[in-house]
Amino acid sequence: MGVKKILDSNQAVLLIVPSTDYNKVMIDTLKELSGESICYVTLNKTYDGFVETCKKNKIKMDKIGFIDAISKSFKKSPTDSENVYYISSPGALTELSLVIGKFLEHDFKYFVFDSITNLGIYHKQDICSKFSSSLVNKIKGKQTKAVFYAIGSRDDSLVKQVGMFVDEVVDYNKSGKKE
Amino acid sequence: MVKTIMIVDDEPDIRSSVKTILEKEGYKVVSATNADDALKKLATIKPNLILLDIMMPGTPVREAVPKMKGVKIAYLSVVRTSEAEKEELTKSKNIVGFIQKPFEIKTLIQNVKKLVG
Repeated sequence: MGVKKILDSNQAVLLIVPSTDYNKVMIDTLKELSGESICYVTLNKTYDGFVETCKKNKIKMDKIGFIDAISKSFKKSPTDSENVYYISSPGALTELSLVIGKFLEHDFKYFVFDSITNLGIYHKQDICSKFSSSLVNKIKGKQTKAVFYAIGSRDDSLVKQVGMFVDEVVDYNKSGKKE
Repeated sequence: MVKTIMIVDDEPDIRSSVKTILEKEGYKVVSATNADDALKKLATIKPNLILLDIMMPGTPVREAVPKMKGVKIAYLSVVRTSEAEKEELTKSKNIVGFIQKPFEIKTLIQNVKKLVG
């Protein structure tokens, strides 16, 4: 079953993806959801990297609003574009939360958070957990359907915690198949 | 003569696994937890190569690299960038490589051997 189908009956899903399959799953999911409006939050790829991936995979970007929490950390002047907002650093959680709130006011059909695992690189687990819980609650007050990525396995304690906040957990481990 | 590699990464798992892998290959490995720690250690150690995580807490890597003069540096990056950004990041003359995380053991060894012998 595709992610879109899963989102038909759930508002927030957590996709647990092994690092080796992450790129493929990310592209396949984006292909599936593209065409509808998407708010895409990234902590692991730059806007330019995202654009390059979309072009390579013929994914339409006109309805994607992008929140890039990475580029400003290592680039002095990130590419200016009207569909991207740059967060000052992945450590700026309040800023990230406020910007996501603003984006969500635009009633995107889908919201993608990529990823919980990368958030865990920059913040302690309890902070990530609280942030994720508040984010899911924010989404629950909207019509927007949300996809959260976790890279690795479901044994990770942060993944376990976030799994409790969402409606459905989909595990791509074990031969790249969803469990 | 034994070659020295400095691994700079804020993730303890990465530091310890890179250390284990490269020591097995006969390299001496020194660890640093971030760019500031690396700069401190570089006052007394001159490694043949620094494996430098691109995103760490503390001084941003783009500010620390110019201070790491005369040492070869290969970036380790969990962040996926565009090709143009990669070119921009590696244009300093002491940046000799860019290794995308997660990497396979074989890839790491091949890269280090290629860069320092």
